[in-house]
Amino acid sequence: MITVHAQYQSRFREITRVEKESFEIAEPTMVALAAAITGKYGPAMTALLMDEDSKSLNSRGTLYLNSKGTRMYLEDGLADGETVFFMVGIAGG
Amino acid sequence: MESRLLRVNLTTGDCKVETVPHAMFERWIGGSGINNWIMWEHFLTHDVNCDPRGPDNIFVFGVGPLAATGSGSGIKGRITFKSPCYGIFGDSAAGGKFPYMVRFAGFDYIAITGRAPKPVYLHLCDGDVEIRDASHLWGKNSAEAHNTLVQELGDFPSLAHTLTIGQAGENQVGIASVVSDASRIHARGGGGCVLGSKNLKAIAVQGSGGVRVHNPRGLLNWSKDFRQKIDQNEAIYGFKRRGTLGAVEMYQHIGSHFWRNNQGNMFRGDEVRSDNWVKKFHKYSEVCSADCYIACDGRYKLDGTESEKAKKYVGESFRRPEYLTTASAAGALDLRDWAEVAHWGKVTNDYGIDNQDLSTSISFIMELEQHGLLSARQKAELFDRDNQSLEWGCMEDVEELMKDMVFQRNRFGEFFHNGPYYGALRYSEFRGENFMKYATYGKGGASFTEEMRPFPTWMNNMAVASRGADHLKGIGLIEKFQRRDLSMKYFGRLEAADLSTPVLKGACTAVVENQVALLNSYGVCLFHWMLDPGGYTPEDYYGRAFAEVTGIDRTPEELMRDGERICNLEKAFNSRLGLRREHDTICERWMFEPCPEGMYPGKVAADMFETVLDEYYEWRGWDQRSGLQTEARLKSLGMDDVAEVLAADGALVRA
Amino acid sequence: MSRTPQKELVTGAVWHPPGAEIPDVEEKLYALSNQCTDCNICEVACSLVHSPDGMVNPLLARLKVDHSPQVGRKAVHPFGFAADICHHCGNPPPCAEVCPTDAFYYDPKTNVAVIAQDKCIQCMECVPGCPFDVIFVAPDGELLKCDLCGGEPACVDACATRPEMNNAGKQYVRAPVLFHTDTAGYRAVLQDKPERKDEVGMMQAMLEAGTVSSAA
Repeated sequence: MITVHAQYQSRFREITRVEKESFEIAEPTMVALAAAITGKYGPAMTALLMDEDSKSLNSRGTLYLNSKGTRMYLEDGLADGETVFFMVGIAGG
Repeated sequence: MESRLLRVNLTTGDCKVETVPHAMFERWIGGSGINNWIMWEHFLTHDVNCDPRGPDNIFVFGVGPLAATGSGSGIKGRITFKSPCYGIFGDSAAGGKFPYMVRFAGFDYIAITGRAPKPVYLHLCDGDVEIRDASHLWGKNSAEAHNTLVQELGDFPSLAHTLTIGQAGENQVGIASVVSDASRIHARGGGGCVLGSKNLKAIAVQGSGGVRVHNPRGLLNWSKDFRQKIDQNEAIYGFKRRGTLGAVEMYQHIGSHFWRNNQGNMFRGDEVRSDNWVKKFHKYSEVCSADCYIACDGRYKLDGTESEKAKKYVGESFRRPEYLTTASAAGALDLRDWAEVAHWGKVTNDYGIDNQDLSTSISFIMELEQHGLLSARQKAELFDRDNQSLEWGCMEDVEELMKDMVFQRNRFGEFFHNGPYYGALRYSEFRGENFMKYATYGKGGASFTEEMRPFPTWMNNMAVASRGADHLKGIGLIEKFQRRDLSMKYFGRLEAADLSTPVLKGACTAVVENQVALLNSYGVCLFHWMLDPGGYTPEDYYGRAFAEVTGIDRTPEELMRDGERICNLEKAFNSRLGLRREHDTICERWMFEPCPEGMYPGKVAADMFETVLDEYYEWRGWDQRSGLQTEARLKSLGMDDVAEVLAADGALVRA
Repeated sequence: MSRTPQKELVTGAVWHPPGAEIPDVEEKLYALSNQCTDCNICEVACSLVHSPDGMVNPLLARLKVDHSPQVGRKAVHPFGFAADICHHCGNPPPCAEVCPTDAFYYDPKTNVAVIAQDKCIQCMECVPGCPFDVIFVAPDGELLKCDLCGGEPACVDACATRPEMNNAGKQYVRAPVLFHTDTAGYRAVLQDKPERKDEVGMMQAMLEAGTVSSAA
């Protein structure tokens, strides 16, 4: 079991209604964290976070960064105490 | 596919309508592409080195073939001209209902030359054109002029839609803009100055005509499929509500804002760095530009309770500030109250002036003040008044300097009216001291209020964009969003998504410029694609809509080449003006001063700049040393005629 | 401008003699005011679908986006827009009743009244005759009335969804601002849940009841 932290912005935060929280996950993976988050917040979160067709994290207009500023993918692992930032954004305009 | 071009010579008063033949759409797609060609041809018979404020400059308005057909991908009208502030290729887009109505009035392209002897406006109505007296409009801001015209012109055969200039354009301020239906703005490059120099206050259109589509069922099916894609993209719901303000929180996190003249890259102030606009100010439903399934615009009206400073602006109403309105106000100028950001957005629109170059001209001076480089006497010389306060985050100071610029009241207005680069140069000469290291700018001297030092594609965009430093034409989404999937899709490798390497960054600019050129030529908004750049592409998915509308059927490879051709014509125009590799550059701050904060501190553009630029030229097939186009590449794009003109100007590399 | 009935959209004109029992309209359009964004795509799609030669022209649409919804209309706010749509009134509708030349017939698929252009003499009696001002006059004089596109309205196809338009996250289904709905189901929801008075609430109730036929 490891503890990881999630921080949410804009549309993610509209769904979760909290800015940050922690999860205890059995597997140290993004897969486990994503499952914990969608499990907790239901279909609205699943529609935003997951891409049904490709079975990966939804990449349209989203940005998931670890504390070093690297984008996270489902195949990535997580360290104990790591934070992942869930953002929806656009560039320019 | 055929359409109509209206040619207006304001000197003689002649108005002539020409057919734009199908072959033009085959070569140049429409919109941007055809605008560029109209301007290119004009400068084959007029001096390309003419004064952009003189009668020989041309102002082209165009709307692409997908606009107003129900495609659902929004509408952008495009203006194209020789830029009076940067002296290079100039163009700018804006949405709204004006380009929609131009089509129903019976025109797709308007080309204006000459200079009217006194203030006039153009009235287009169901194929008829009149040049009318505008003396009652001169002196009004862009919204007042619009409202007056709408009232005067009534609602038959339709309501009127307008392009207007404000006082900035009338006073030929270099960075003056053209405003569309009082609420949207062709901001960059000084289109408003060109119209002001021609004594043209407005263009008003009314119409009851139609627009023909080649294959209606095909287009309706495409539209339905497109709508479903939009409706199923969950992230777009956030965009519908926030527009580009969605960038605020994300940029705050990664350190991508432009704070106090780019001395920092994060907003300060709790209000502006969060989503609070949406929570506290946004009370009314989203509205739409035109023809768009997203509808990301919004309206507000201040009642005074929203924030501390809102009490000063009770009753003020406008469209919601977008990201760059916010970046220029809360970022460059450190205004920390949303009511002030909104007010800034409204007054820059009303005066009709570019918020990017205006804010960075003001922030340049404010930084000099911050460093104690302006004595009381020196400020009096600059502003022609004593005791001008220059405090960060002070709206009163900002408004005074804005008026100095719009009304050309003093040396500040005069020196900086072509943007921060030329302003800093002139001020340095005036003072006998070199202040260039405090000026932020890219190609042409144009500025842009985002932190880009950690983003090599963005720094490359600032150096190479045809209309001067610009993020949109080659927008670095793959790198900023670290999209490994898109890097693989376009290049078969991962490096385009890796911020730590210069590899594939110049390539990204080259590929995306071709794609964006297509969207600008189709006449649609960029944002639908930007919200899912892998999901539906300009060269493939949109290409099918282009075929349904025009009957011109192209493969994705052919359309990418069409996009490349359009980009090469813009480049050719600049080459004729003498631009070479040394002009594809950026300011000292971006090149050498380390990024001070945010997620990627310590970054400087210089680490990767030249490597990325080399790669960009390589992908473009241009000469590395001079940056000039090669005969081989132009011939491969079917641009032999352009190559000959360049050769005659000594601007072609015969390779 | 073509004056023949729109055979591509509507199959088989059905004329009912005066006094005959005409079946009721089973599905009709519904448009939420103040969620409309003024994109005008409904007008564009309507005109394109009805055009024999591929012309887009909002002035030829059988619905209109109203930029100044009247005082008294529900939920008007300062920047509201609303789509003015045919209400497909109970049969025979007022427009058909005032017609002096019996130029209205009924589409058997939908039972909505449609104008037969070759019988219409363009007297324009139906224009003030319509209590909702949704019979429009084209620039060339043709009278334009919504025919529900034979049961699959193009305007509904063209209307995009809004962030508010979901059933509170339950099935997570979204609906556009313009949609067509089973009238019996709509009436049932109105009776059943009078507290869902605001329009978005009504739409959500209909989504929950499964009576909205055009969810995304």
